[in-house]
Amino acid sequence: MDEMMNTGVGSADTQEGKYMTFKSGSEYFGLEIQYVQQIIQFQAITKIPETEDYIKGLINLRGKIVPVVDVRVRFKQGECEYNDKTCILVIVVKDTTVGLIVEQIAEVAEIQKENILPPPTIGRNDKGHHKYVYGIAKVGNSVKLLLDPEKLLYDDENVDGDSAKMEEEE
Amino acid sequence: MAGDFNTESMLDMYLFENSQLLEQLQETVLEQKDADCFDEDSINEIFRTMHTIKGSSGIMMFDNITAVSHKLEDVFFYLRESHPDNVPHVELVEHVLEVEDFISNEMEKIRGGEPADGDATDIIADLDKFLNKIKNGGAGGEGGPAVENVHEEPKHFYIAPVASAASRFYKIFIHFFPETEMANVHAYKTVYALKEIAEDILYSPEDLLTDEKCGETIIKEGFRILLQAQCSEEEVRELIGVGYDIEKVDVFECDANQFLLGFDFGDTEPLPQIDLESSVEVIEAKQEAAAQAGEAKAEEKKPETPKITPGDFVIQSKEPGRQKKLAKDKPKGEKAAFISVNVSKMDQLMDLIGELVISESVVLQSSDLKVPGLNLDNFNKAAAQLASISTDLQNVIMSMRMVPLTNTFQKMNRIVFDVSRKLGKDIEFVMVGDSTEVDKNIIEHISDPLMHLVRNAVDHGIESNEERAASGKTEKGKVTLSAKTEAGKVWISVEDNGTGLDREKILAKARKQGILEDNKPDSAYNDKEVYQFITLPGFSTNEQVTEYSGRGVGMDVVVQNIQAIGGALEIESTPGKGSIMSLKIPLTLAIIDGIVMEVGTSSFVMETGVIKQFIRVKEDMMIHEPNGDEFVMIRGDCFPVIRLGNWYGLEEYQESVEDGVMLILEVEDRKICLLVDKLVGEQEIVVKPIPSYIKKVKGLSGCTQLGDGSIALILDAPGLVE
Repeated sequence: MDEMMNTGVGSADTQEGKYMTFKSGSEYFGLEIQYVQQIIQFQAITKIPETEDYIKGLINLRGKIVPVVDVRVRFKQGECEYNDKTCILVIVVKDTTVGLIVEQIAEVAEIQKENILPPPTIGRNDKGHHKYVYGIAKVGNSVKLLLDPEKLLYDDENVDGDSAKMEEEE
Repeated sequence: MAGDFNTESMLDMYLFENSQLLEQLQETVLEQKDADCFDEDSINEIFRTMHTIKGSSGIMMFDNITAVSHKLEDVFFYLRESHPDNVPHVELVEHVLEVEDFISNEMEKIRGGEPADGDATDIIADLDKFLNKIKNGGAGGEGGPAVENVHEEPKHFYIAPVASAASRFYKIFIHFFPETEMANVHAYKTVYALKEIAEDILYSPEDLLTDEKCGETIIKEGFRILLQAQCSEEEVRELIGVGYDIEKVDVFECDANQFLLGFDFGDTEPLPQIDLESSVEVIEAKQEAAAQAGEAKAEEKKPETPKITPGDFVIQSKEPGRQKKLAKDKPKGEKAAFISVNVSKMDQLMDLIGELVISESVVLQSSDLKVPGLNLDNFNKAAAQLASISTDLQNVIMSMRMVPLTNTFQKMNRIVFDVSRKLGKDIEFVMVGDSTEVDKNIIEHISDPLMHLVRNAVDHGIESNEERAASGKTEKGKVTLSAKTEAGKVWISVEDNGTGLDREKILAKARKQGILEDNKPDSAYNDKEVYQFITLPGFSTNEQVTEYSGRGVGMDVVVQNIQAIGGALEIESTPGKGSIMSLKIPLTLAIIDGIVMEVGTSSFVMETGVIKQFIRVKEDMMIHEPNGDEFVMIRGDCFPVIRLGNWYGLEEYQESVEDGVMLILEVEDRKICLLVDKLVGEQEIVVKPIPSYIKKVKGLSGCTQLGDGSIALILDAPGLVE
């Protein structure tokens, strides 16, 4: 049915160094696989009034009510139409279950520690999205931005100000 | 606690068992608080409870709890051994409750991860004083310490069990080599071996397994055993054996009388070395030993025939807690039928069942079934069967969450006792229907309000003894706490036969506080309205502030708490006869009756109870204020209007009032109108919280799953009214 994949509970060893990567805007992002609970197809969302724009509402995940966050809106890439490639990545961070709406799921990539670089600090002071990205990983020829799930979910600093432009990163 | 190994589960078990023991203890004590003294069973039970708590607290190294329980154990040991006549019973009850409070309090700290650091010295000193008092006051003026009594008392007890002529009595002294390590374990091994043949066995020191220090005592002073068995000296020696650890074994046969004297061999003892030992023995150790003896005696008294199997003693010396349960044979059958389940598992099960019901409706209403020309007779039969099973399932899981009010009521019993004692009122407390079952969540919410009502009833419901006599009331002051289920609600009422509410006083006070309308005479208010005034914040007719009430905070909090769970408070009162405070609360929080409605593309649910009316209004009934506020005139009354779509900034909602439906909501006498697009229907709603990740939105209290699996938001009427 809705489930396309269940990552199941693997031991820490087998999950080490594995990242779930997905596309948002023109970039590929990676999340440590231990946070990912499952991936489901896009489904109807119940809107909640008076919340942040990136919180799209609630979905019913087999009886469990889960809030969903639109990653594009969160990254200030603007809204886009949801289509059949749109997925909801259900992640669990510190006992909080949240669904991430992502444009497209890419793959599970294995990334060695030595291939992860800290994000470049040159260029503009674009904290608008540096705070979610804790590292940049090279996988083959492509570059993946590794996300800190906690910072992704919670606004602990003021997001307003200069909105980040994704192109800066390349 | 030892940090090296995991004590967590041990700690959980400790807290769980002890809180149950304490609950039982309180129940026992309160049951007999009005008697002249505790009956023998209760004394034994309290003694054993304290003994168990002392033991387990000792293992967990909560020293203050151990000390307090030990002291109370001493008191009850004395009570049951010496049967003193003039024990001030109420004082004793207070002492027991004080100890119980102290231990509960400490356990609460432990549960919260704090160290159990309460200071027990005061309580211990009080208990000491009390113990001395009953010793000196009662027990035929002996005046000596408790141990002296022990010498005489056992004779009464032991006559029955000694009936078996074949029994022989031995005193056994075992000396271990001084270099033996963990002599206590070796000693226990010996005792264990002897239990095979023993009809009765006593040994000193008795706390072999839990008290590590006793190993040293054993090496220094030797290990002493009193044995009653039907076998020869040789057999006994053989069982004990002489191994690498035992230096010397002395076995003396003696007669029953000597046996009964216990370890204090006194003049009859031929060996001077033993005499010496017992004289240097600290009093406490003697009491311990005697306590053990006492316990054994009490056990033996019950069966009356000497068919005490060795197994009894094994259980007793190892785990007094279990022994206790065996001894209490009455509730044994019921006990076995209960298991405790983690609440989160129950919640999970409930979620799953909710989901099952929803997927069932998805299957049964599947569009595949709507193809014309299908013969669905068999399918429909099976579907009906499935539906009835899933309904049953839902009912069962709901009933599993139901808990009887017994414990809550028991707490109230305690409060009545405490408060009435402090105020010097003579009050009888009656509980009716305490087995009424209520959802667990609700119980947590009603405990505090109920406590308040009970306290009020005792404090200013019931008059003082003098006032009662003066007004010619002959019966005792009486507080009745009752519960019943009626029409899907639970009614809990607190009734007293005191003065009742003073209408004039309340009115005067209300007038003073400016609550009454100026031009309305007092007589225009009916009793119900007047009594409701006492639930207003800051309203107290009690001129004197006491420890328990009179500050004017309270009734309003009670009402708030009750309203928070969808309940109501009703007050009835007859001057001079007493008053009845009734709480009307829903059976469960998890399921409410709700009206489902739609605004734009969103579904909302509103609790049925707050909706007074649905009405369609015409555009010309609307009044628009320049500042954007809207009102509607309905049959001469003017209500403020909230357009739900506009309020929450939803999309595609009906702009025109004529296309939508108005709901008139009433919360605490305030009425507002809510405009929604259309009504969908009424149904039972399983309430779920909105995930905490989303910040609290004003006017929303939760969410729920509708039959088609979609989510509806539950509107919170009080939030909207604000």
